[in-house]
Amino acid sequence: MTRLADWINERIPVSGEQLRELTNEPVPNHLRRWWFCLGGTPAYLFVVQIFTGILLALYYQPAPASAYESVRYITEEAAFGWYLRSMHKWAATLMIAAVILHQMRVYFTAAYRRPRELNWVIGMALLMCTLLTGFTGYSLVFEQLSYWGATVAANISDAVPVVGGTLKTLLLGGAEYNEHTLSRFFIIHAAILPTTITLLVIVHIAFIRMHGVTELRFDDDPPNEPRHFNFFPDHITTELLIGLLLMVVLSALATILPATLGAKADPLTTPEIIKPEWYFYVSFRWLKLFSLTFAVLSTGFILGAMFLWPWIDVGLRKLTGNEDISVWIGVGGTLLLIGLTVWEAVVTH
Amino acid sequence: MVFSFVSIARFGLMNSGQDPTSQNSAEQDSAASSSDDHRRSFIATGSAIAMTTGLVASYGTFASMAGRFLFPAGGQRSVGWQFVAAVASWQPGKSLEYTAPSGATVVIARHGEADEAEAFIALSSVCPHLGCRVHWESQNDRFFCPCHNGAFDRQGVATQGPPAKAGQSLKAYPLKIEAGLLYVEAPLHSVGGDAPAAVAQNDPSAQNDSSAPDAVQADAVEKGRLS
Ligand code: HEM
Ligand code: FES
Repeated sequence: MTRLADWINERIPVSGEQLRELTNEPVPNHLRRWWFCLGGTPAYLFVVQIFTGILLALYYQPAPASAYESVRYITEEAAFGWYLRSMHKWAATLMIAAVILHQMRVYFTAAYRRPRELNWVIGMALLMCTLLTGFTGYSLVFEQLSYWGATVAANISDAVPVVGGTLKTLLLGGAEYNEHTLSRFFIIHAAILPTTITLLVIVHIAFIRMHGVTELRFDDDPPNEPRHFNFFPDHITTELLIGLLLMVVLSALATILPATLGAKADPLTTPEIIKPEWYFYVSFRWLKLFSLTFAVLSTGFILGAMFLWPWIDVGLRKLTGNEDISVWIGVGGTLLLIGLTVWEAVVTH
Repeated sequence: MVFSFVSIARFGLMNSGQDPTSQNSAEQDSAASSSDDHRRSFIATGSAIAMTTGLVASYGTFASMAGRFLFPAGGQRSVGWQFVAAVASWQPGKSLEYTAPSGATVVIARHGEADEAEAFIALSSVCPHLGCRVHWESQNDRFFCPCHNGAFDRQGVATQGPPAKAGQSLKAYPLKIEAGLLYVEAPLHSVGGDAPAAVAQNDPSAQNDSSAPDAVQADAVEKGRLS
């Protein structure tokens, strides 16, 4: 036994002590509250996406002539294909929801303030990548929404000043949707974005380790309790429990509401009722409300402001002398977000 | 590429030769060594510049090749002139539904008396806003785009929604008349669209085939068909 340990130790010269040091970050007590674990949720779901995604990619064929048929094969013939596809779809939905909720938690607790500004920027990049992964994902299925969503999105990028035309050609692999388009979407979806997300998550977590989590105290905290608990085993247990719970929820959703397959893409007919996935309802409504130029420029402006928010926040607080100005703006923004989403959800056009 | 490797190699040689001599030179006669140093630092700077240029040039070339690769060759969409109908048998005010080889339906209407292309209009069903397909709503007497609620009148001028805000119209396909026959310049291919057989092009009876998967629906042409 000791010989085995020696053998391993000689080849992997890391002591147990160092390992504990490396992983055992003291975790502030407020993380016992579940809503502070929202950051771990998308990370867990991301792993689910990689796993189910790789399996789906074994049968999926990224070409207009065969994509739809291959998804039908996954859904109707491959053993447990329907389950894996539904898991992938639901985990995507929950992942996006979790990223948004996590970001709201960070926002409303002002955890983006000095010195954590850069991690907010990374978080924003993660949000963008996640939304793009969702979008490129449902474009792969090559049902009506896949095709028209991709067409509309490409034309939106065309409207971006200066680089728009090139952006559109790069995205579609040509002047319009053509036989190269799906393989591009597939590579973006299954290789480029997941790699980017992985790298961003690594930096994100490195920053968290360097700065520590913003510590918060609550009025109902017991006064004499220690202010930290151990990452291992205490916090990891919580995360494992959340992981198990998520598996149960995902399985239930996948079984009760499995991913369906709509009509095949028809470049000659836009269906009478067409809606994107719920997380794009806001931008969809925005596009209906305003002219294209205004919609694109205002969206760019809003996203830019979100990226630079930690610094804008400083400026606004100085300007208004109100420490809670970000909360009010956040409440306004959230209401707008919910309002536009609900509006789009309840009307047919 | 080759250039940069050569300059890396040269720089490496320079470096390895430099250390011992420069130590020596510090102890040696000042006159000889200072001109030596001068020459050496000149060569060092020169090769550093050469190396940087080489690296930038070679990786730059590589990057531009990769960048160029991202734009597929021959990506232009093919369009071609298609025969539609004889002008003489087409009364003003009438329209017909023409199925292009791509499978797209094009409504072509004659609104003028003159025997010239300007007397005809062939509207595309591609919405100028973000590229969805419009369809005709006879009950509302308009073309409607389901994507963002764009609406267009008979002439294709936007009346509602984002295309109206931007003052857009449905695109018209180019038309020409040659020897009393009307031709339209329409797309030849579409992705995944089940294009009807290309032989239909020159068969006048096939043009009125309303069973085609049409975007601009048959009632757009309720005013009558050519026979
Ligand atoms: C950030 C992580 C990811 C998200 C949010 C995501 C999201 C999605 C969504 C929403 C769909 C459409 C689901 C449907 O309607 O069937 C999809 C499809 C697909 N995804 Fe992903 N995905 C992710 C990662 C991956 C990875 C890493 C791979 C492969 C290595 C992958 C491979 C596929 C394939 C092959 C399809 C098409 C087949 C199908 O729809 O069943 N995905 N994805
Ligand atoms: S694409 Fe037609 S209104 Fe937007």
